[in-house]
Parts: sequence; structure tokens; C-alpha cells
Amino acid sequence: MQPLGKAASDDDRPLIERVRRGDQDAARILYERYFDRIYNYVYARLGRAEDAEDLAIDTMTRSLTRLDLFRDQGVAFSSWVYRIAHNATIDHYRRQGKAILVPLESATIPVSADPSELAVDQLSNDDLREALRALTDEQQQVLILRFFQDLTAAQAARIMGKSVGAVQALQHRALGSLERVLHGRTNN
Amino acid sequence: MTPEVQRLERLAERLRSVDPVMPSPGAKIRGWNLVLAAVEQSASGRSRSHPVRRLVLAAVAAAVLLVGGAVAASADSLPDSALYPLKAVVENVRGALAFSPSDKFAYHLDLAQTRLTEAEAMIARHRVDLAAQALSGLNDQLNQAALVVQAERLSDPALAASLENRLVQAIAIHDQQLAGLQGQVTNPAAIAAITQARDRAAQALQTAAKPTSSDGGKPSTTSSDKGPGNGASATPHLTPKH
Repeated sequence: MQPLGKAASDDDRPLIERVRRGDQDAARILYERYFDRIYNYVYARLGRAEDAEDLAIDTMTRSLTRLDLFRDQGVAFSSWVYRIAHNATIDHYRRQGKAILVPLESATIPVSADPSELAVDQLSNDDLREALRALTDEQQQVLILRFFQDLTAAQAARIMGKSVGAVQALQHRALGSLERVLHGRTNN
Repeated sequence: MTPEVQRLERLAERLRSVDPVMPSPGAKIRGWNLVLAAVEQSASGRSRSHPVRRLVLAAVAAAVLLVGGAVAASADSLPDSALYPLKAVVENVRGALAFSPSDKFAYHLDLAQTRLTEAEAMIARHRVDLAAQALSGLNDQLNQAALVVQAERLSDPALAASLENRLVQAIAIHDQQLAGLQGQVTNPAAIAAITQARDRAAQALQTAAKPTSSDGGKPSTTSSDKGPGNGASATPHLTPKH
């Protein structure tokens, strides 16, 4: 797997102060640090490069121009950026008129299928990405953050506003749901 | 570990191995241009301190909104945008206001970078025809910058040397960007256009290195001149470092 670049860190704080003073070089560093990650995050949610580009740009624009709204008190800048991206994704879905919070039990997933037969290694990346989008909003988010973005459970918890335990439980449920979706697809 | 946990662990590992989808270079550059414009606007908004001054500025802004809005919107427009022709008009006005050789040189280098950004964006959108036009524009601007250098050789050799050095650096950076772009496209027409743009950029350096014609007239070299330079100036090695 290719690296997505430097992960969020405490290094952001001095850069944020510089951006607040109008330092464009600092803004460029933060942009370079987060743009690819946010693009990757949004793309995993939407599956369309054009939309992912627009939303990633929108997210970075909001992040770097609305720093007056960001208070570094318990919430890292990285978490703030991801939340903006998440909200932008939700807004995008709403504008497109798509339902996003699909309860798993109402989705067309063959729960009776035997998941033990799933050949994980033979699944293509596209299969995985597509199946992931059949999950609920929170399930998608936790899997993308933990496995596509390679964040820790603690980092994902801060972004999602949950406890680490809740994220771990959600992750377990999400993996189970994904397995059932994939199994349903391979049987169809 | 239960069989279920083992299965889910395998699935988690498979998810970790999914290659990340990266944005195109054009999208990244376009994004930065838009973010930078917004950051600049945000910074200038914060710098306005006096309420009365803010009011006056707001009134002035409102007065020029209709005309200025379209002009400003055109600044970031791309070749496939309806506002793009307006961008060309604005650029021409800027060029007409550049009087000194240094200003003219900076103007042409700035436009060269703009054309390159446009080309990257057009390739990202699979508009090879418009990308080729933008690349041609890039070369025209580099050649114009080279002609400014050439024209200064007799009147101000020190300035000419300084400008030539900047041109060398700019073309080397452009070449790196073009090489990166070339490595990412598969369309033969796009590859050919990029290859031609790289070759013509190197020719612009040769143009800059040529002495001005002895009769003091206009430099004789055009963008299609493929003749070698006189060797007075080192042509940079344009191979990307990465």
C-alpha cells in the first residue's frame, strides 16, 4: 500500500498560528499534509474522482480560511479537518438526494449466507470499495479511517467524537457487515 | 481466537492492503490555487480594521461587483470554462502594463506557469486538445521571456545574465512537472504534446543564450527555431531528479 503522507501531529499548531497571521507557506504545508488524505477519504465515501476533488478542495479551503472557528482545546486540527470533510460528504449526499444512514437490517444483504466461504484474498480493490459503500455511514467512516487512512482507534475516536471502546465495537460490527455484503455479492 | 475473529482479522488486513486513490496532479494544483486565493482573501478581510473604511470598501466593491466579479472569476478559469476568454483579455491588459524588461520577463514567466497549470488540469479532465493548446501557450510564453533576455544582452548584460538564470531555473522546474505529468498519462496524443513542450522549453533556453542580431533589430529566433545556441550559456540538464 502506498503511503498517504505524514499523518496528523502536534506539528500542526505552529503552522496554524502562522496561517492565522497570513503566512501562505504555512498554508501550503498544511495543504500538502492533508489534501491527499482528505481526497482519499472522500473518494472512498463517494467513489467519483470529480466529486472527491471538489469536496477535498472545499474541505481544505474551509479548514484554512475558517481557522477563527478552530480552537485547539482537546480537538486536534486533523480531527477538525476530517470532520469538515465528513460534513461536506453528508451535505453532498443530501444535495444529491441520496439516503446515507441506511440501517444495516434494511439493506439487501443475505444474512443467511455462510461467511466462512469468503475468499478474501481474491477480492479486488474495487469490490472492497464498492461493498464498503453499502454499509451505514458510521461503519464506512470507521473502516475508512482505520484501514484506508491507517489511523489508530484513538485517532478515529477523536474524529468521530466517540470513545475508543465504541470505535472498536463499531469497527467489529462494520467488518462483520462488510463480510456479509461481500459474501452476498460473490453469490450473486 | 474464534473463527469469526480470525475471518474479520483477515478482512481487516485485506482492507489495509487496498492502495489509496490519489488525486491527479492537476486537481492538486487547481485545489491549491483555489485555496490560496481563499486564504489571501481571508487574510485581506482580517486586515481591514476600521469599520468606516470597511463600509467604504464594501460600497466600492458593490459598485464594481458586476464587472469585477466576472473578471475576478475568470482569473482561476480553465480552458474549458466559459470565462476563459475573459481571462485572456485580463492577461493582455497586464502585459500591456508591463513596461520594464524585468516586468515583461516576470509577466511571461507567470503566464508560463499558468499555462502549465491549465495543461495539467486539462489532462486530468482528459481534454487532451485543450491541454495541447495550453502547452503550446506555455512554450510561447517561455520563448517570449527568452526574447526579453536576448534583447537585454547588449543594453544591460548584467540584467540579461540575471534573467537568464531565472529562466533556467523556471524551465527546470517546469520540466520536472512535465516529466511527472508524462509519467502519469497513457494517451499517446498527450504524451506527444508533453514531449514536444519539453523540447520547445529547452529551445527557449537556446534562444535566450543567443546574442542579439548585430543590426540592433528584433531577435531573429522564433519559437520554432531549432538551431543550437552559441554555447555561451550552459543549458541545464532537464532530466527530473526523482
